[in-house]
Amino acid sequence: MGAPDRDPSSARLVVGVDIGNSTTEACLAALAPDGSVTYLGADLTRTTGVKGTPDNTAGALRVIRDVLARAGRRPDEVHTVLLNEATPVISGLAMETITETIITESTMIGHNPTTPGGQGLAVGTTVSIADLAGRAPGEPVVCVVPAEWDFDDVARVVNAAVARGVSVVAAVLAGDDAVLVTNRLDRPVPVVDEVRAVEKVPLGMLAAVEVAAPGRTIRTLSDSYGLASVFGLDPEQTRAVSPVARALTGNRSAVVVRTPSGDVTDRRIPVGELVLRGAGKELRIDVDAGAEAIMATIARLQPLDDVHGEPGTHVGGMLAQVRDTMADVLHDADGAGQPPAEIAIRDVLAVDTFVPAEVRGGLAGEVALENAVALAAMVRTSRSRMQLVADQVSAQLGAWAEIGGVEGEMAVGGALTTPGVDRPVAVLDLGGGSTDAALVTRDGVCTAVHVAGAGELVTKLIDSELALGDREVAEGVKWHPLAKVESFFHLRHEDGTVQFFDQPFQPHVFARVVVLTPDGPVPVETRHGLDHVRRVRRAAKSRVFVVNAVRALRQVAPGADLRALDFVVLLGGSALDFEIPELIADELAPYGIVCGTGNVLGTQGPRTAVATGLVRAHAAASSCPAG
Amino acid sequence: MTDAAQRPAVLVHRAPAAPAAVLREVCAGAEEEGVPTDVVDVPARSAGAVGLAHAAAQDSPLEVGVGVDAAGAVAVHHGKLPADRPAATAGPDAGPQDWRRTGRTAARIVKGLPLG
Repeated sequence: MGAPDRDPSSARLVVGVDIGNSTTEACLAALAPDGSVTYLGADLTRTTGVKGTPDNTAGALRVIRDVLARAGRRPDEVHTVLLNEATPVISGLAMETITETIITESTMIGHNPTTPGGQGLAVGTTVSIADLAGRAPGEPVVCVVPAEWDFDDVARVVNAAVARGVSVVAAVLAGDDAVLVTNRLDRPVPVVDEVRAVEKVPLGMLAAVEVAAPGRTIRTLSDSYGLASVFGLDPEQTRAVSPVARALTGNRSAVVVRTPSGDVTDRRIPVGELVLRGAGKELRIDVDAGAEAIMATIARLQPLDDVHGEPGTHVGGMLAQVRDTMADVLHDADGAGQPPAEIAIRDVLAVDTFVPAEVRGGLAGEVALENAVALAAMVRTSRSRMQLVADQVSAQLGAWAEIGGVEGEMAVGGALTTPGVDRPVAVLDLGGGSTDAALVTRDGVCTAVHVAGAGELVTKLIDSELALGDREVAEGVKWHPLAKVESFFHLRHEDGTVQFFDQPFQPHVFARVVVLTPDGPVPVETRHGLDHVRRVRRAAKSRVFVVNAVRALRQVAPGADLRALDFVVLLGGSALDFEIPELIADELAPYGIVCGTGNVLGTQGPRTAVATGLVRAHAAASSCPAG
Repeated sequence: MTDAAQRPAVLVHRAPAAPAAVLREVCAGAEEEGVPTDVVDVPARSAGAVGLAHAAAQDSPLEVGVGVDAAGAVAVHHGKLPADRPAATAGPDAGPQDWRRTGRTAARIVKGLPLG
């Protein structure tokens, strides 16, 4: 402990407690009469209830008792408990697709069955296999086979027809039988299978079937002029079918049926305008213009007062949805409630994204990548009831409890205990709902800002861009490195290294892209390769945290100039991420900024910065009571 | 049969009374994936599908074997897996879809694709 001439019993025991959105953290210290601080330990637990509500008391008491137990101290020894004043922001998310691909009259089959049969390009009239026996020899035929047909029967019927002189040039099957059928044909033809809604393929129409060799993609049906050549189209018709060609690009097999009015349309959904107010101005921006244009507009309106969506449009709906969720949270938080219309949105982060969506009118579960925009929004709330939490803690613990300081300022104080850090320093708190920045100058003046968008938005982007449909899996992809299981006994990590295991993997992870959780490999249900998943993951983190780091630091930097910053310390749950700190550091390096992950007290990592800051601020205040 | 054992193929060990319908679908599943199968008739013995599959996997140049027992149960095995831990199974009351799936699973182990 302290100097030998000091009486330890005169030191006062102080606990700083930081109640966050997801965790409640504590820092225990002994304060000597001369103001010197001895840190005795830190701990964390899950936050109970919504941050800033009396429900937090249970979690706060738990973490206080835990940290005391660990240090071998008793609750009745505690002199003062210091709580944070919560960051007064709540955030919400919304996402909306802005394009839609529709196939009309079943003109195109553009899925990617894993095992099509045969290869080549063939053009003929669509005929059901049931009618093949009665078909007279003549023009070429594309045979359409419903689900109930067995592969041996299909081959027999087709072979018989061909023997009679009917020219069967291709086949479209409902089942997963293409290779089996092709292997049994006297004259192999291209066969596309796994067309679930094969009964909707129009009969008696001219159709083209193309199957590329293994490892290749189709060349003719994915090319506008290829389609024009196959079907004898004029320039106007060619223009009309070019979306079909685009939709088929990259596939190994495809079917295009020429119907009188069939079409694939690539429709832009009118999303509407964002109405932004701030800095005494009001500007409107069409959400179609994309995230970059929206963010540029927001940057011109700092500080933002409120954001609305044009009523009756998608964006109107999105923001209404965000307001409703926030109204619910606020209602939960203080019981009083606030009508959604009165909630002012103080910041918005727009992110361009894409969503793989099943194509409307598709016959085989075709998926098209639709453009989408995601919005994270943030409101300020003045209704934190931390004082009530402090009163309850005080009553139940039998120690004095008080609000020790505002979160941003306290975080800086805690961050300053990181070895190698000095004033002026900016901290970036990478949270779940918002990204917070605070700057303390050489003379101790502190400014703090909060911007919308953080870990939750990253999870949502990963979830939708990979079409996982499962938030837990998306969280796994966000938090853990990827690997590909290559045999029952080894896997290849995303950096290329190979690891051998002496116990065989479960069959359900065999050959899959997996996330390496502490409980073992968990499969990511996707047809994409590891590289794609990794790219999506890193892009999501970058579009949220790198963008927000720069945005938030600009708002606290003197003259909005990042070069004016010296030290940046990353804090919060997402600072524990295995790649977010390096993504941010890479972005800030050109500005001459020293950026790294906080290591509070030299031992705690990016955790417990606020709790430690509370203790420091208290110690500083008690050593010079005048200040 | 010694010739057959030489070419790269998934070996299917069939008990004497194994139903032909099951065998047909198992082989079709592997064929659709483009992986050859060789069917081997094994003498009557007490081994169930898993035991047959394990023995088949040991003999297969591709280290992948399928066992079809007298009741029509199917198992898929890899030569390096513990004998009691097959990669996939289908019970005697399974249907053509399941039998087909076991054949596909065997082929996918060879190809290094998710078994799904």
